[in-house]
Amino acid sequence: MFVVIKRVFRTAWQGLTRNSWLSFTCIAMLTISLIILSSIFIFNSASNELINVLKEKMDISIYFQRNVPEEDILRIRDDLIGNEKIAKIEYISQEEALKIFEEKSSRNPAIKKALEELGENPLAASLNIKAKDTKYYTEIIDEVNNSAFKDKLITIDLMENQRVVERIDALSTGIKLGSILVILIAAFLSVLISFNTIRMAIYSLKGEIEIMKLVGASNWFIRGPFLLEGAIQGIIASCVAILILIPLVMWGSPRIGSFISEISISLYFWSYFWYILLYQTLFGVFLGIVSSFWAMNKYLKV
Amino acid sequence: MPLVCFKNVSKAYNGSLILDNITFEVKSGEFVSLVGRSGVGKTTILKMLIKEEPPTKGRIFFDDKDINKFKPRDVTFLRRKIGMVFQDFKLLSNRTAYENVAFAMEVAGYSNQAIKKDAPELLKLVNLEERADNFPHQLSAGERQRVVICRALAQRPELILADEPTGDLDPINTWEIIKLLMKINELGTAIILATHDKEVINTLGKRVISLDKGKIIRDEEEGKYLI
Repeated sequence: MFVVIKRVFRTAWQGLTRNSWLSFTCIAMLTISLIILSSIFIFNSASNELINVLKEKMDISIYFQRNVPEEDILRIRDDLIGNEKIAKIEYISQEEALKIFEEKSSRNPAIKKALEELGENPLAASLNIKAKDTKYYTEIIDEVNNSAFKDKLITIDLMENQRVVERIDALSTGIKLGSILVILIAAFLSVLISFNTIRMAIYSLKGEIEIMKLVGASNWFIRGPFLLEGAIQGIIASCVAILILIPLVMWGSPRIGSFISEISISLYFWSYFWYILLYQTLFGVFLGIVSSFWAMNKYLKV
Repeated sequence: MPLVCFKNVSKAYNGSLILDNITFEVKSGEFVSLVGRSGVGKTTILKMLIKEEPPTKGRIFFDDKDINKFKPRDVTFLRRKIGMVFQDFKLLSNRTAYENVAFAMEVAGYSNQAIKKDAPELLKLVNLEERADNFPHQLSAGERQRVVICRALAQRPELILADEPTGDLDPINTWEIIKLLMKINELGTAIILATHDKEVINTLGKRVISLDKGKIIRDEEEGKYLI
């Protein structure tokens, strides 16, 4: 068994090195396929993360009239926390609101001066509500509007307005569906490119395969080195692809980041580096083996 | 018991009959020449014998076994017992002369030690020990054909099928190859030589099966090329 494995490895290595141009072409095509797939995968994951960040930022603030006592507000909070659509409620007192406001406008002396001239805290206490899902925000607003404490409110403020909520939801679904479609199309195209390149390479070796059959070699004796060659090509292509992706991510990440600050391709890339390398290598090996296997069968029927 | 037996074998391609009811036998250790014009079906006979082509009708036996009933696995074993020598050599182009011979031995399941010992000796037998590390494209036509014979011998076959082995060779190389085949035959391997080289046949003085229009028209011990 060991002798057979050794022979398969030796023959595969000979095939790779002696048909160097064919090997180069196959590796180049596999590399392109893997870069396309990995780029889409990274971009898709990063955009999903962007949606999560945006969703995380959303909340509803309900502002209470200044004469509503703190106990009442806290009671309302306790009532609301029981609502299954609500994930978290944060109470911001008038003092805290003022502190936050002062911190935010510390660089603006005019606002600071205006506050001093007013002599009292003009801000209202509020409850910041985070829903379990963005789709619940409109329902929560409706419920608050129809609640018994409606009269105690000054205003209900959805930090991102309703339309934005709907847009983000639509965008999120769109991106998910779109990316599945793009991944499927890209996967199909890259498999097609790789498969056809390997098929052409094996076509050019069909004479050799036929000779091997005529000399009495079994199908698996012939296949073994070719499949291993495909697998080695997949591994090399994966290494080359990652070496190309690194500078590509380093170059592209700050540029994308300058448009959408919440998205960091490079952060995502480096956090999932080994995962990306692993899946890319496995896919490369799979492509190499399956394409070789498929392409060879035709010529093994001598 | 004959080594090879064709019983009422016919072969048609796209409705056109190439071989019509062929019957003959070849004994172990025999040297038989198949002669006839190009396209008469000599190569088809050899192809059917290694099950590269199936017969349209009739039965073919090798070692008393009906090869039509062979499964793919049996075919690989059959081909290890029958060495093939082709006009167009059919060497593995990206392997050296030594590696081509070694490949045939690997296929037959020889150990690495046996290959290292026997392959150079086989190459020496055909005077190619100096060319062992050359690739087919670095060898002359005569040298290539000697590598092919060497490869055929590597599996220690019971029978060698030589399909126009001298077709692409000059007279000197032709006679070297024929002498080599005769030497192999003297050592006990049966040979079926398909050729239309009149001079070779007439000099050999061995059994000749003559084909014409898909039929055997003559089968003579110490025959001549008479077509």
